[in-house]
Amino acid sequence: MITHSNVWRFFTKPLMKTRLAPRRGLNGLAGKDIGDRQSRIIFTVLGFTALTALLLIVLFLFLEGTALFIHPAEDGSRVGLGDFILGSFWYPGYTPPEFGILPLMAASLSVTVLSACLSIPLGMGTALYLSSVAGPRVREWGKPVIELLAAMPSVVLGLVGMMVIAPFMQEWWDVPSGLNMLNASVMLALMAIPTIASIADDALESVPRDLLEASYALGATPLQTLMRTRLPCALSGVGAGIILGLTRAMGETMVVLMCAGGAAQLSFSPLDAVRPMTSTIAAEMGETAVGSSHYSALFAIGITLFLMTFAFNLLASFIAGRYSQKGYQAA
Amino acid sequence: MVNDPNAVEVKTLNFFYGEKQALKNINLDIKRNEITALIGPSGCGKSTFLRLLNRMNDLIAGVRLEGKILLNGMDIYAPEAESADIRRRVGMVFQKPNPFPKSIFNNVAYGPMLHGIKNKHGLNRIVESSLRAAALWEEVKDDLHKSALSLSGGQQQRLCLARALAMEPEVLLMDEPTSALDPISTSKIEELVMDLKNSYTVIIVTHNMQQAARISDKTCFFYMGELIESGATDQIFTLPQQRQTENYITGRFG
Repeated sequence: MITHSNVWRFFTKPLMKTRLAPRRGLNGLAGKDIGDRQSRIIFTVLGFTALTALLLIVLFLFLEGTALFIHPAEDGSRVGLGDFILGSFWYPGYTPPEFGILPLMAASLSVTVLSACLSIPLGMGTALYLSSVAGPRVREWGKPVIELLAAMPSVVLGLVGMMVIAPFMQEWWDVPSGLNMLNASVMLALMAIPTIASIADDALESVPRDLLEASYALGATPLQTLMRTRLPCALSGVGAGIILGLTRAMGETMVVLMCAGGAAQLSFSPLDAVRPMTSTIAAEMGETAVGSSHYSALFAIGITLFLMTFAFNLLASFIAGRYSQKGYQAA
Repeated sequence: MVNDPNAVEVKTLNFFYGEKQALKNINLDIKRNEITALIGPSGCGKSTFLRLLNRMNDLIAGVRLEGKILLNGMDIYAPEAESADIRRRVGMVFQKPNPFPKSIFNNVAYGPMLHGIKNKHGLNRIVESSLRAAALWEEVKDDLHKSALSLSGGQQQRLCLARALAMEPEVLLMDEPTSALDPISTSKIEELVMDLKNSYTVIIVTHNMQQAARISDKTCFFYMGELIESGATDQIFTLPQQRQTENYITGRFG
């Protein structure tokens, strides 16, 4: 029978045992100790649970998504990979249905790129200000405030985009709706700025002081030291921060669902409504029948999105590795 | 002014970190083309003093200075003096080798490029002559575009010396430049410093009294923020005038 005290003893035994047992040298680490074995098992199970869950999710995603290309649609038509990636019409309700995600990918990419144009200069500016211009007192409260901004729920940002930015844009540019690519990009940029600023600032702060002194000692001004020593030395961290910020923007759903307008069209004007991949999945999954071709198509979009953000993350670690290993040889 | 034999003149210098006085009433003349060694126990103010000579202490908040430091006749703490200009004229080599994580070439060219030298030919010439002056040219001439971090500790420190020499400074400051190096690298740096005397004025902080005795012309002993004694190195090490100097040199404290 398991009582409280039994359970308690199970968890405390390893601790007491290590405290009381005589030291056995390095062999003691080889897992012979019963207490060690218990804690090893617990951590191994916990670790594999998380890993297994993630792998199962990926497996599920691929099984459900690839079904689109394997089984014919309800009306007997088939969807090829080329039609899916390069098709420019997303009409899942038509007969035969059209599952071209080019407008959705274009929307995701354009919203991300446009938000990058805003978030990189603003985020980097914030980081440079915090690390090189601000006095210690501004820095003391500025950094936590920026990190708190990252905690802003995205739905709140979406509300601001809908209720503040949209009416403003509608009036300013005299367009029928303020819910468009630019609106979503502005709100996504606001989300990415804290990530970029915080990671870039950490990278700038971690540049060793003796390198900065070496630069000053050669007669460099603070600005020259920043541009020629501090920023190049922090480049890998800064690059990783930027890409993490952009990945966050690309995977973000709520803001684009609320602010981007939702029209699945190929568009090159920032004032047009667009429908990124994430909001397509979120908006349409509730209306589909499980196992239908529309259902599989939404999973296939999920695969595409996963591969894109995965590539972004790979790029981030590649950049970080490249600069740290070679000792900035190119610089 | 040119005939004045002093490269640096320090007049009634007092220096404070906040409320704490780090240097008290220092008066010192440093002759051109001589090696001056600053010795004394840890915390005696010798490094602080050295870093005042190129205004490195400007980078610390809450410091205050009284008195004057003249560099070839010019007051380096005068309101119109720019710290960046002063640092171009006074080179510095630090305790730990601190090459930039750039190529060997770009390390040496860093200073000249800051001050507008852009043409490749001119830079090549400066890099070669500086590396030769630091006795590093023969070892690295085929690897100028390799990372400076691939060099050994002693080579890195000579690279830092070459980097400082590329600015052709009027005075060269060295803050315990060999404390992180092995004996062979140390003796290489010492030989170099003695060669440099012909064209530069060198001020070196050292914890190593044999080093001070081996290489310097003049030695200054600091203790508790005061300049206790200064004079020809031979005299300081054989016939110190002050009791504290003698105690320190004979190893009774410090």
